[in-house]
Amino acid sequence: MTVIVNPEGAISPDALPAGTTRATLRRNFWRGVWRVLRRKPSRMAGVVIVALFALMGVAGPLLYPAQLPRDDNALYAPPSLAHPFGTDFEGTDVLALVVTGARYVLLTGLATAVITVALGTLIGLVAGFHRGRWDTLLMRLTDMNLAIPGLPLLLVLSTVWKFESPLEMGLVLGVLGWGGIARAVRSQTLSLRERGFIEAARGLGLPTRHIIGRELLPSMAPYIAMNMLIAVTGAVYAQVGLFFLGVLPFESNNWGVMLNLAVFNGGALTTPAALPYLLAPLIAILVLTLGIVLIVDAMDEIFNPRLREE
Amino acid sequence: MTHAVPGRPRLGAIARKIGGHLVRGLAMIWVVATISFVIIREIPGNPVLGQYESLIQKGMSPEQAERATAVLYGFLPTGNLWQQYVGYMGSLLHLDLGRSLSTPGVEVTTLIGHAARWTVLPVLAGTLLSFLLGVTMGVYAAIKRSGKLGDMLALSGSLLHGVPVYVIGLLLTAVFATLWPIMPSGGPVDVEFVPGFNAGYIGSLIHHAVLPVVTYTLASYGGWILAMKSNVVAVLGDDFILAAELRGLKRGFVFRYLARNAILPLFTILALSIGMLFGGSIFIEEIFNYPGLGLLLVNSISSRDYALMGGTFLVITVGIVVANIAADLLYTVIDPRVRSGGAA
Amino acid sequence: MTANTAARDIEAPGVRIRDLTVVYKTPAGELPAVRGVDLALAPGTITGVVGESGSGKSTLALSLLNAVQPPGRIAAGSVEIDGLGDVLTLRGEDLRRARGRQVGYVFQAAQNSLNPLKTIGKQLLDLGRSHEVEDLRGLVREAKDLLARMGMDGARVLDSYQHELSGGMRQRVGIMLALVLNAKVVVLDEPTTALDMITQATILRIIREVHEERALTTLVITHDVGAVAEVADSLAVMYGGRVVEHGPVTEVLGEARHPYTQGLIRAIPRLTGDLSLARALPGRPPTLGTLPAQGCVFRERCERRMEVCETDEPVAVNRDGRTVACHAADRHLTLIKRKEFV
Repeated sequence: MTVIVNPEGAISPDALPAGTTRATLRRNFWRGVWRVLRRKPSRMAGVVIVALFALMGVAGPLLYPAQLPRDDNALYAPPSLAHPFGTDFEGTDVLALVVTGARYVLLTGLATAVITVALGTLIGLVAGFHRGRWDTLLMRLTDMNLAIPGLPLLLVLSTVWKFESPLEMGLVLGVLGWGGIARAVRSQTLSLRERGFIEAARGLGLPTRHIIGRELLPSMAPYIAMNMLIAVTGAVYAQVGLFFLGVLPFESNNWGVMLNLAVFNGGALTTPAALPYLLAPLIAILVLTLGIVLIVDAMDEIFNPRLREE
Repeated sequence: MTHAVPGRPRLGAIARKIGGHLVRGLAMIWVVATISFVIIREIPGNPVLGQYESLIQKGMSPEQAERATAVLYGFLPTGNLWQQYVGYMGSLLHLDLGRSLSTPGVEVTTLIGHAARWTVLPVLAGTLLSFLLGVTMGVYAAIKRSGKLGDMLALSGSLLHGVPVYVIGLLLTAVFATLWPIMPSGGPVDVEFVPGFNAGYIGSLIHHAVLPVVTYTLASYGGWILAMKSNVVAVLGDDFILAAELRGLKRGFVFRYLARNAILPLFTILALSIGMLFGGSIFIEEIFNYPGLGLLLVNSISSRDYALMGGTFLVITVGIVVANIAADLLYTVIDPRVRSGGAA
Repeated sequence: MTANTAARDIEAPGVRIRDLTVVYKTPAGELPAVRGVDLALAPGTITGVVGESGSGKSTLALSLLNAVQPPGRIAAGSVEIDGLGDVLTLRGEDLRRARGRQVGYVFQAAQNSLNPLKTIGKQLLDLGRSHEVEDLRGLVREAKDLLARMGMDGARVLDSYQHELSGGMRQRVGIMLALVLNAKVVVLDEPTTALDMITQATILRIIREVHEERALTTLVITHDVGAVAEVADSLAVMYGGRVVEHGPVTEVLGEARHPYTQGLIRAIPRLTGDLSLARALPGRPPTLGTLPAQGCVFRERCERRMEVCETDEPVAVNRDGRTVACHAADRHLTLIKRKEFV
């Protein structure tokens, strides 16, 4: 005697014409991106900032001679037109130091992000996809990875390993930092699984590789991309921090080295003379963070429709 | 559906939980101890063997030198890897972390005990302050989420959450100790005061603790405000809040329903946050020259005091493990669903 | 049960909804989810409201407590309840006190209408304190009685958390909380959705019994025509934010006048007879955005569509206790009427 007039949530199959679906979706997607960016100009600023830093990393060292000029008459010079952030203890332009130092920092960040995301996604996918014993084992490992005190471990590791190239550094940071992404990807996989995604694809006889590559990954891609951006910042902080603490040998100029020299040699925390030297890399880090936060915020709104109409 | 005895905590469930935690915690500590052991042994130049040989050169008999070195590092300088490992683990079981090289003759545990106070108290104060501040502001940011103020709060949260702890610390020092020197630039206390329970000493202690604690607070405040905001928004959309309003519950009750349900999940990240702050303590103590565990670790590395390094690293790990267990137990006590072993 | 016999003597309040319009703010402007609804709930009766999802029936239910949630807004009309006045003019504390005390509301998906972190008993006490109940012990006793009437162990339920109760039990707890303050008007929004058949039947029986015992005026919102046929005295059919037909339940179901109601009834599969006789209504129900700006809301799916339906919205005509808003049914009626006059 029960009569349901209209089952809730039934989607009519003719809502999306089959042929043009993908192209339309893509066009709608870019239109959505544009709309979100335009609605809050601050987000546009985020894109501009990150693009600027990328440019700095790629082209920065090309703008200056390999050996930055020194000026013995202008040690710790105050900010001026010639030196917007003053000079350091050798009379080198601080702005030039920040710009040329960006490459090492950003390269490490990128390497770390790629490794972190690759490891985390792989482990999360395998755990969520296979469930059972694999899942338990991998999640134990993930818990361990999350609980390990990363920075102290890095310090201790630095006594035996000098992480000379950005890639080495990225490898260590990536191996230490994949836990968060793995856990998130696993729960996403599980929730897609609950919605019948995987079973439906299995029912259609699609191979596992197709299910993961064409069905699961694309629906998680924005999420993974956001995490990748966050991983970049995490890596930048960790390595700048290690150089700041002075536990790594100063092979080349970078922001962390600048911080260390400003604080522990220049006495920037007790005398104002070295302050610009200290502030320049700090501002660089702050602005980079701001840019990435704004972009992640915009991505969140694009891909998380729940937040859109508030 | 569980049809357990309603409302009564299942002691078995809690015991199993604690047991699981202990096993995982011990595994964690074991892994970290092994890492320290391997690193100390593999450090270029082999400091353990070096110490042993230098003692012999000073005229000690090999047996004496062997014993003296073992006291220092917790394992014998000679013998194979396996014997050394067992020896190291054996001394750990006796809570013997060896002796310091940079402060000759003093036991590592003593040094760590002194340093721990300077880390634990500011970390706890910072956690508490940032939690209270972040949760309050998070509720506000959620309720005003479509307005300018809510946007600003959320952005400030994201920024502070994203910025590394040393940037916050350095900026605070640059402003409040260098440019506008109202705060001491470092150290735990001014030397002219006699340690003890007197106003001058305690006032100086507090004065010196302000910037470190504010740094700890700001460093984790961002995480709390973001988490609380998204939880409140989620709970606001839950049916039971509207249902409570439709039953005519007083605003205070509705707010309490909302707040309690939104805060609860935060206890799961409390542990992570404390762990993060322990890590952050390395930077904060370095910046403010604050004699806690973080500074001890950095100094032990730069003075090649490897027994002290291994010990400090281990104790920081133990601190994080303990914080984890405590946070999870707290959660278990507060959430009736976990408490009775029902659906989580 | 002397208390209940005493309650019988008190007259049940009547409820009159007049010209109610509720609009929702959308990117395309404010669109009406409920438009110009007139509906009277006779004292002491159960009125059922059926309609597809999106027909505005839940919005109508919330309007009875002046609780339409943003982005929705009550744009016009009045909801008068005897002894309370126009609910839509109540604000702040007055409104809060009316909710729960005078009008009980059983929430859609009442399974989720309880605070997961507090026992039912504590939530009951919160309710009592919110409405300045002096005798909290009496309140607990009353709650236990009600729960017992619904076949549950009252003491144990009050000591339980939500997650320790089954869906049907939570639903009954929801009903208890709506009744325990002795509200005389009770609104049940989809009280049996998401429950199994046996539990559904039990809940419907309980609603009927309690309703009669306490002399309530009850409104039951549902998309289940079968459920409403079992409990309701009168039936209102909603479509696209309008009440298209309203009358005694046996008459509306037995001899439907609006083409939409007729279509609904045809869509019910019979227990006996050929299943293919059940015909689903063609087309899809309108959403806020697809509602036609003028003319009859149902015309797209109507088999008796006429030219006038494109331009003029049919007015609700009341005749021998039944209301119908349809040009076709109307013309039929006016023709008869004319004959009477000739």
